[in-house]
Amino acid sequence: MPSKTPHTNGTDPVGNGVNGAKDVEMKDDAPASLKGGKGKKAKEGDEEMTVVVPPSKGQKLAGLGKKDGDGDVAMDGEEAVEEDDGAVKVDPVTKAVADIKGNFPLLERAVMLFDARFSLRALRSISSIRKRLTPDILAQVITETYASKGPAAESLLYAIGRENATFAKPNSTEMEIDSEAKANKAGKKEPKEIIPEIEIFLGILIQIYYLDNKTNQKGADVSQYLAERIHTLNRRTLDSLSARVYFYYSLFSEQMAPLPPSPSSPVVSIRPALLSALRTAVLRKDVDTQSTIIVLLLRNYLSTSHISQADLLVSHTRLPDGASNNQVARYLYYLGRIRAIQLRYTEAHEHFTAATRKAPSSPSAAGFSQSATKLLLVVKLLMGDIPERATFRDQSMERALQPYLQLVQAVRVGLLGEFETTIKQYGETFRRDGTYTLILRLRQNVIRTGIRMMSLSYSRISLRDICIRLKLESEESAEYIVAKAIRDGVIEASLDREKGFMKSKEVGDVYATREPGEAFHDRIQACLALHDESVKAMRFPMNQHRLELKNAQEAREREREMAKEIQDGDLDEDDLGGEFEGM
Amino acid sequence: MAERELQDILRKLKSSSTPSQSKPLLSSAKLSLLKLSALTPLPNTPQSHLLLAREVFEAGALLSIRAKDTESFTRYVHLLTPFYELPADRLPATKSERSKITGLYLLLLLTLGNYGGFHTELEGLELRKEGGRVEDDRFLGYPIKLERWLMEGSYDLVWKAMASREVPSEEYGIFSEILINQIRREIASCSEVAYPSLPISSTKNLLFLDSEGAVVSFAQHRGWLIKDGRIYFPTQSLKAGVDLEGNQKEVSQLTIENTLGYARELETIV
Repeated sequence: MPSKTPHTNGTDPVGNGVNGAKDVEMKDDAPASLKGGKGKKAKEGDEEMTVVVPPSKGQKLAGLGKKDGDGDVAMDGEEAVEEDDGAVKVDPVTKAVADIKGNFPLLERAVMLFDARFSLRALRSISSIRKRLTPDILAQVITETYASKGPAAESLLYAIGRENATFAKPNSTEMEIDSEAKANKAGKKEPKEIIPEIEIFLGILIQIYYLDNKTNQKGADVSQYLAERIHTLNRRTLDSLSARVYFYYSLFSEQMAPLPPSPSSPVVSIRPALLSALRTAVLRKDVDTQSTIIVLLLRNYLSTSHISQADLLVSHTRLPDGASNNQVARYLYYLGRIRAIQLRYTEAHEHFTAATRKAPSSPSAAGFSQSATKLLLVVKLLMGDIPERATFRDQSMERALQPYLQLVQAVRVGLLGEFETTIKQYGETFRRDGTYTLILRLRQNVIRTGIRMMSLSYSRISLRDICIRLKLESEESAEYIVAKAIRDGVIEASLDREKGFMKSKEVGDVYATREPGEAFHDRIQACLALHDESVKAMRFPMNQHRLELKNAQEAREREREMAKEIQDGDLDEDDLGGEFEGM
Repeated sequence: MAERELQDILRKLKSSSTPSQSKPLLSSAKLSLLKLSALTPLPNTPQSHLLLAREVFEAGALLSIRAKDTESFTRYVHLLTPFYELPADRLPATKSERSKITGLYLLLLLTLGNYGGFHTELEGLELRKEGGRVEDDRFLGYPIKLERWLMEGSYDLVWKAMASREVPSEEYGIFSEILINQIRREIASCSEVAYPSLPISSTKNLLFLDSEGAVVSFAQHRGWLIKDGRIYFPTQSLKAGVDLEGNQKEVSQLTIENTLGYARELETIV
């Protein structure tokens, strides 16, 4: 089978699936945002959202799993009783095992048909299994899946810390000793080969288990093993799974002490691994892994605020076209942060707008859209715009954006004192959101708005009054600041140095300038562009024009026949209708 | 062996005062660092070597600032960055000139007008600082304050900060001259627009110039008119006239162009 199936084209309908499955990073910090539960982005992993599975599919999957597991139920039940000796617990364990196993046919089908859709579906079902994972359940699944001890099963069991779990079909005591076990395996006939995808899938489950239980060191070890394994396996059908593996790998490293802002954090040490994985992914045209890793690296660099490195990465890579919507949204978000720091506000504004628009609207991703919206607001303020009031009324945003609302109010009115108290009051929140340095830059905008307000309300005002109202340090600063504002075109006024006042120029008639004309022109352009776009977007059924051609031809033929008949005189003049009579 | 040699060189470096003396010393120091393979921190570089390397680079950075060689200063800063990022247990931060050099680097970016670079660097500092705010640091707070005032337009505060004893160390003074010229240019361009005319005597204070003679020569340099002890800004009225004229032409031309464009578009639609 060729290694390049039309991956990107074929996954179009899967697009939605990807969205659902990759929501994991989009956390909800709504409950935590005010309590101060998270420091920067790094700790957000704690509040990771579970994936939203469309209910119908989830049920279908569960049903599938049950059906599959039916044959084993009796045996499972026995084992569960042995392990937990509680009749009450039997049910959840059995069900979890069955659910996990229910995904194996999907993975097998993915390999058989070479269709990434099925693996994605398997990945999506993780969220429903997630809460029920325990080492025992995992060990059970492993032992039942791998009929006997093999290197793969062993390492998985080792990873979960159940090295001496007994296999499902034990041959008396042989399993106790390794050498015998190997002999046993050699002798035994494998019912069917277990595909590596299942192994990696189980590995991902183990990763998730460790992540949920915050056993980060172990999780990182498992992840490293899995990453190496994927590298040696080199199967295209593993692509979507490997993206996941790397995703959790980097999450683990983010949560290990010392936490990211310190330069010795493990985040720094996984960079080479991620970079080499990126290179491999690019060479293998593995779109999933490529986009995931680019985003992870950006996040990684930003977490230790290596802005220039992140900028270099962006300039040397390109997010693949087939990247899933959520990866694109994250990419834009990080890109926006880089640009905002570099004072390229226009670009940052564009990126953040796109990121907030692309962010999934499901409540599970509220954290991401909150984060992006906060930055978008600050960038808007820095550009001199005042965000709309409606932004702050949004249900899911209202509480998280509260500090920003006060900030906007201070900037809008141009009250320096209020601005500074807001910064003092919410300094910690702003720092946590990573907007603090950006907000500090707002000071000059506040001053300018203040000057503008005064220039609008007074035709003449002394510098001394300006100085007092804006709480500036001296009249001289006020003079320089006003002069700068005049030069930058913020206000229309002139200064009188000897008498020490600012004289506002009369506000001219706006309609005498070219501004209305420009606005008009912009709107016409927009309408024309809309028309063009709609023409381009129109669909024409295939071969429609041929049909028309055929019709036309037929009509012509009929006409010709008619003409012939007239010529031959076969046709009565009456037949041709009244028009002829007049001629 | 190379280590002891290096220590010798360092001692000499500290005692030497002129750049001409220290330059060859520095290059020989770098050579011996290369022999110790401690030019960049590797995982197995011993601590003593790291310390020595850092000291050499810091000395080099300060020397190049004194020699007003900004390019080599930037090079030294880049060399130092990996050393500063090492964890404290590998390379203790004591005796390090880190904030001084970083502050100088910030100031350099400021004088070059590279505000993007300035803020990128600042963002890194903000996060890496354990406890305490960056602004409170004596060396780092200075460029940060200057930047804020420059952006606001409080030029008098910048002037005061540079003139008074607030300058944290002599190396910072080197930038003052560059900055003052920059500020003066800014103020001049602001005044051209903001004031209809200015008396020479107060212009002296406005531009932080020493004497009225300096004001006159500055005014002539910028092409301002001096009449009856007042300065008039010819560029303003001249510019406005040209602008109006140019605009007038442009507006009608633009309108015609636009209308023709609309006509063409309508044609394609209908």
